[in-house]
Amino acid sequence: MLEEALAHLVRGIVDNPDDVSVTSRADRRGKSGQALDVRVNPADMGRVIGRSGRTATALRTVVSAINEGRGVRIDFLDAAER
Amino acid sequence: MSEVTANDAKQLDQEGDVAADYLEGLLDICDLDGDIDIEVDGSRARVSIVEVEKGELSHLIGDDGEVLQSLQELSRLAAARETGERSRLMLDIAGYRGKQKVILEEAAKTACAEAERTSAPVRMAPMNPYERKVVHDIVGTLGLASESEGDEPNRRVVIRVS
Repeated sequence: MLEEALAHLVRGIVDNPDDVSVTSRADRRGKSGQALDVRVNPADMGRVIGRSGRTATALRTVVSAINEGRGVRIDFLDAAER
Repeated sequence: MSEVTANDAKQLDQEGDVAADYLEGLLDICDLDGDIDIEVDGSRARVSIVEVEKGELSHLIGDDGEVLQSLQELSRLAAARETGERSRLMLDIAGYRGKQKVILEEAAKTACAEAERTSAPVRMAPMNPYERKVVHDIVGTLGLASESEGDEPNRRVVIRVS
């Protein structure tokens, strides 16, 4: 559910929604033990990060709230990187 | 005075529609119930998520409205992507902003009374631009003068007896 919610939030604000994918992985250092990797088209990287990281922060805030307040680590990656 | 042209009104309608779809999609994914209202008031689109079950959406408001503010930010970006113009839409969830506005107006009235009593400037707590506007409006209706000073995020309203 978290992956799907994050993918929806990101797809709505980028120019290339079809290039967005989200995968989940274990994150031993994180509080909730979960990390999400978001891949976006390189041209959209600025959009999902935002000025001074504002958009990235908003995405983390909303996803952590959906996850019952347990912070979720979110990393933004270039869709071309594998 | 700002004049709302037919084009502006059309753009505001579109902003509201895009934001409503965006938020509705999120509620669906999270399996949450909420009715979404859209209105265009003056120069802004206002989107409100109304709770079906009391308290069900409180985590989407968050402490001090932090999550609500983030959702508003994202909804503005979603609207801007469609219209190509920066969006100033306001999002409310479960009447949170309405309640906050009343609290803020009361604080502004109290500060005005103090300024009149002491004839000295009264500095309010730091606020975001929307909150400062609410305070300036109240101060104006009470016939006092106000200005903002300082830099974000510590910008605050100072009230003076004019």
